[in-house]
Amino acid sequence: MIFHARVIAATTIAALVLGAAPLRAHDMWIEPTTFSPSTGDIVGLKLRVGQDLLGDPLPADPALINQFVFEDGTGRRPVVARNGADPAGLLRVASPGLIVVGYRSNPSRVDMSAEKFNQYLKEEGLDAIAALRSRRKETGAPARDLFARCAKSLVLSGTPSEAQGDRVLGFTLELLAERNPYATPAGRDMPFRLTYERQPLAGALVVAINKSNPAEKLTARTDADGRVRLRLNRAGVWLVKAVHVVPAPEGANADWASYWASLTFELKG
Amino acid sequence: MRITSSLAFALGAVLLGSTAARAHEIGTTRVSALLKDGRYAVEVVTDAAALAEKLDAVSDRARPRPFGDVYVGRVHVMFDGVETIPSVDRVLSQSADGATRVATIRLTGALPTGAKTFSWKYGWTFASYALTVRRDLSDNSETQWLEGGDTSAPFNLSAPTRTATDRLRTAWRYFALGFTHIVPYGFDHVLFVLGIFLLGSRPRTVLWQVSAFTVAHSITLGLSLYGFVTAPPAIVEPLIALSIAYVAIENVFLSELRSWRVALVFAFGLLHGMGFAGALKELGLRRADFLAALLTFNLGVEAGQLAVLGTAFTLVAWPCRRRDWYRRLVVVPASVLIACTALYWTVERLR
Repeated sequence: MIFHARVIAATTIAALVLGAAPLRAHDMWIEPTTFSPSTGDIVGLKLRVGQDLLGDPLPADPALINQFVFEDGTGRRPVVARNGADPAGLLRVASPGLIVVGYRSNPSRVDMSAEKFNQYLKEEGLDAIAALRSRRKETGAPARDLFARCAKSLVLSGTPSEAQGDRVLGFTLELLAERNPYATPAGRDMPFRLTYERQPLAGALVVAINKSNPAEKLTARTDADGRVRLRLNRAGVWLVKAVHVVPAPEGANADWASYWASLTFELKG
Repeated sequence: MRITSSLAFALGAVLLGSTAARAHEIGTTRVSALLKDGRYAVEVVTDAAALAEKLDAVSDRARPRPFGDVYVGRVHVMFDGVETIPSVDRVLSQSADGATRVATIRLTGALPTGAKTFSWKYGWTFASYALTVRRDLSDNSETQWLEGGDTSAPFNLSAPTRTATDRLRTAWRYFALGFTHIVPYGFDHVLFVLGIFLLGSRPRTVLWQVSAFTVAHSITLGLSLYGFVTAPPAIVEPLIALSIAYVAIENVFLSELRSWRVALVFAFGLLHGMGFAGALKELGLRRADFLAALLTFNLGVEAGQLAVLGTAFTLVAWPCRRRDWYRRLVVVPASVLIACTALYWTVERLR
């Protein structure tokens, strides 16, 4: 409950405090309770929102979930969502192999000041949108962003093989591991492909973060085919992520629509 | 974290808007602040494992620092925009369902002399969370939903000063609420008033009953609101329906006002008053507003009753009351209809 008489004072103080604080747009990823389950195991799927792989639990919210699915050798099935609970979902490992888990959210709207939005564009490497705003002389304008999450995670049950691979789930923005990370030792190049509406997305910044050393970020921009190669130099849990922003569709009551793709997996030593 | 699950989600969805394009990523952290007797106490309830990971990420194993020293750098307790350093205390416990460990961190300190506003920022949360603030001078809490890392809007430490216009607006709001609680939303109360009206065509008959009803429901409305009497709606609501049926059935066998009828209407009025109080309580009244709300809501209820009686008298009693068929063709069939409806409600409300 905000008293209207104090709105000006509130805005001033908030602006002062926010201005002094570093702004980081928050990533969202899937953190399975184990990346290496056995057949028959129940795996908890924790949704996390945060930065540098430090996250807060995000309980399952039916208003937010657009798709929460997993796909193994036998096909695609819905994750058992546990509304209001963390882990947000559960899956049962029916057979050995690579399991692709996907969570796609409905869009959420966030209103940002010009300064905050500009900083967010800079941090996420969204230079094209920053340039577009500059051309439109909107750099000083606040922004209404509709953001949607497109998170995936790869879980392996049993022995890894080159034949196993990530699968396309059809998310608006999607990161695809083009080699099985469980069959790739640390220190080798890992190829990824980024697609937007199932088409390769060129020039997008892809960032990889390892849980044991999140300060060190591996980055690369996608080529014309939407591909990047990242030398994942450490074993352990990795988060690979990318953000894409487009003008919001007509009638969406927003200026921009952003899509946040993430992919988590564990690299063996 | 189950402790926060369904209720928090329902609340969050309502407060933040539940349509897809407006849904927010609501986490499991909750923050509540109590500003009372010259002191503040802020309680952060959060997932213990997530907190431990954050602590681990910033700690230097060679030179470990006490929890409080690390944590205090992540929270911002501000009075009039100036940060103050709180004492920090942490308790770990299991969530209600035992599935998760929950960390409760209490931040306490003295309110700076002359401070007017409190604001808050939590640098160690990323999802949306609720900040609830209670003040010394009010029973009511104020809640703001914050995006992780955002600074709250300032909360006034004193109860807001209320102008004459504010008070008039409040009075009008409760008057309107009282009126609409009869017309159009209180169909059961309308039928009770019509039951009273149908007994006799003479104004004296109606006047006695309406006065008894009004005095009675005013008594229980006031007593219930102040917490002196309580009765669960599961009992009150079926009894209200039964009282309507009784009055209507009696109309079929009784054509003149008797003293026991006035006493019964008074008793039924006591029941209806508790029903009115339930409606008023659901609004979460501020204690400071109790008396004004009670008076104006009651006035609204009386105005609603008078509107029903005035309409019934003008349309039915005035043109027809001296006709020999008035009782046979109006009073009896209308009373039977009211009785049947009320009996149906009684059964339905008992389920």
